[in-house]
Amino acid sequence: MSDIELHLVVNGAPCTVQAEPCLTLLEILRDKLGLTGTKEGCGAGDCGACVVLMDGQAVNACLVLAAQAQGAHIITVEGLAQEGNLHPLQQAFVDKWALQCGFCTPGMLMSCYALLLGNPDPSPEEIREAIAGNLCRCGTYQSVVEAVLSAARSTREARHA
Amino acid sequence: MFHTDYVAPASLEELLTALHYYAGEAKIIAGGTDLVPQMRLGRINPRVLVDPKRLPSVGISETSSYIHLGASVTHTQVVNSPLLQAEYPALVDACHQVGGPPIRNRGTLAGNLANASPAADSALPLLVYEAQVVTASLAGERVIPLAEFYIGPGQACLAADEFICELRLPKLPPRTLSIFLKLGNRKAMAIAVASVAVRLSLDELGRMTEARIALGSVAPTPVRATQAEAILQANFLDGEVISTAAEAAQQAASPISDLRASAGYRSKMVTVLTRRALQMVFSQLTAGEAHV
Repeated sequence: MSDIELHLVVNGAPCTVQAEPCLTLLEILRDKLGLTGTKEGCGAGDCGACVVLMDGQAVNACLVLAAQAQGAHIITVEGLAQEGNLHPLQQAFVDKWALQCGFCTPGMLMSCYALLLGNPDPSPEEIREAIAGNLCRCGTYQSVVEAVLSAARSTREARHA
Repeated sequence: MFHTDYVAPASLEELLTALHYYAGEAKIIAGGTDLVPQMRLGRINPRVLVDPKRLPSVGISETSSYIHLGASVTHTQVVNSPLLQAEYPALVDACHQVGGPPIRNRGTLAGNLANASPAADSALPLLVYEAQVVTASLAGERVIPLAEFYIGPGQACLAADEFICELRLPKLPPRTLSIFLKLGNRKAMAIAVASVAVRLSLDELGRMTEARIALGSVAPTPVRATQAEAILQANFLDGEVISTAAEAAQQAASPISDLRASAGYRSKMVTVLTRRALQMVFSQLTAGEAHV
């Protein structure tokens, strides 16, 4: 098969990659674009370590083929911080110790980021549901829920200040 | 990485021509949530993947007799549809219990059916709602009742060059209640140990005019529990009828033991889940929540 010219907008920046059509989006991000924040865990859609946003929705990058992402807007964990400042969600993960080894964290952050985009004031139950596709073998789930609640609160307060 | 070719035809005709041309060496890819892991495990090795994503999307629409679900409708779209939430709650519940959010955002209902897993969550409500699968190939269109769609584990009655264009849900009679229950080893990202969907339509007096029960993960395909349905048919729902029907549901089950549960446990759970589902419908009825 021949390479395709893949056009993506990654973290706001348009980019073009020559690639085999059936590389995964995960391989494109990590190997072609050097965005190694997104992790490969299981490679089968079970663990959520590779969650990124594709056109505003959380997806497993290991299950999306490059050609299927043609023209898509992708946001990875590298796209959260702005001008060197952590995103409020990332800051909340730091403050609440919502990680231990950190391997699941990029995917966990992106699932929570997708949740907050559509629901700026989620309940603990809604947060648990949003991260149902993200496995954390260190068991930080409860801290993640607290971090998201805290990020939602601080974003709300910042808006009303 | 997969050394496979990929095409995304711009029209249905082009897509059907491609499927015909590659005659069995092509696989249709939608969300890829089942297909990509199978390719990775080397279980399938298609020469070309055919993606319907550029076809005009029909989404979820309503005509006088049917709700139409287009080929690309995802589980998330079903969950978020006010129309389906109001009339087909068992389907919404089942789709809500598939995988986790990223899987539901990509995985399609048509793909879930084509994959023909005996444990497919969405198949059970589609069975009790008597859904039809509309397919197309260069030979023409077919409308297949879902009850006749499955042949065995992983096998549907689809020809290699046949494409699922649409699922059709018949409009339901008034006074219809439905429910889906799934027993998994966890609440999310779990393949069902056993699952059940129930749909009851009642006359003005509360007698069951249509009783439909479907079971998952307890037979080579999703199955209807016809013996249990016969007990409910033309009857009033009460404690005794519920118990008898729940026992009878086991007759439709022929479970196997696997890594998720034993055959014996699954058989027992068929009765438990069926009874629970009927009791929940019964309490909705007595609380006066039936559509009238």
